[in-house]
Amino acid sequence: MPGPFDYTVWILCTLLEAGVVVCSLLRHSFRRYFTLNLYMMASVATSLGRYVFLTRSGLASNEYTYFYYYSDAILTICLYFALMGMYSLVFEELGAKTYVRAFSMLLLAGTALFSYGVVHQSESRMVTPYVFELSQNLYFVGLVLTYLLWGAVLKMRETRARVVQFILSLGVYFSLYAANYALHNIYPNIGYWMYLPPLISTLLPIAWCYALLRFNEDARLAPARLAVIPR
Amino acid sequence: MSRKLAVLFLAMLVLAGAMGLKTVIASHNGGAVMMANGGAPVPRK
Repeated sequence: MPGPFDYTVWILCTLLEAGVVVCSLLRHSFRRYFTLNLYMMASVATSLGRYVFLTRSGLASNEYTYFYYYSDAILTICLYFALMGMYSLVFEELGAKTYVRAFSMLLLAGTALFSYGVVHQSESRMVTPYVFELSQNLYFVGLVLTYLLWGAVLKMRETRARVVQFILSLGVYFSLYAANYALHNIYPNIGYWMYLPPLISTLLPIAWCYALLRFNEDARLAPARLAVIPR
Repeated sequence: MSRKLAVLFLAMLVLAGAMGLKTVIASHNGGAVMMANGGAPVPRK
């Protein structure tokens, strides 16, 4: 069973995620950042579901394992839509909403097909490995998309403080997970890697709460503070 | 038509880049999994 550290971080993370939705409602930004809020609400609901399965069946049970991996895939798709919501916000002034939507759906479909192709080669019972593979692949797609979006923010001199904060926190979040994953693969004997992901997962709701509370919708950052790009 | 093709090309380019990155990062496969949603403990199976 999980220890006090696991439970503390888990409860803290869930409370922070609920806090993002509450802050968003208090700041009247719920609809504007709907995809971010959707991800946070799904994450809170998933945490509650996982707790129910954990207490009923235990950490090593099939029920908890299946629920964990399937809900992770759903959350990853929600996170992907949150990221595409950021794309829509950044490109809204260019009137490129239709293209962003088409791009996001094509990329999601491509990732789903690619994951199917990988699993199809080697597995007889496909659904669970497929869900797992899709989830893993979407993380890396999200990582690349976040860096591309940050490039677009710098190029287009996006100055909305909240949008910049949201995108930067997503970049830090994906990068830390990818770094942890890589180091875990390189040094599998070090046991500390398994303690880091729950801690990293608290960073995103903290950063989003901060962005919602600290900045109002009209707050701008001076472009010179982001980067100096020669014209 | 060319814009639609450009969107398709970009989507495939991002997918190829992401899968390439995953291959590089996971080249020393130590059995790690990337679970990045919420603070719930990872199943012991």
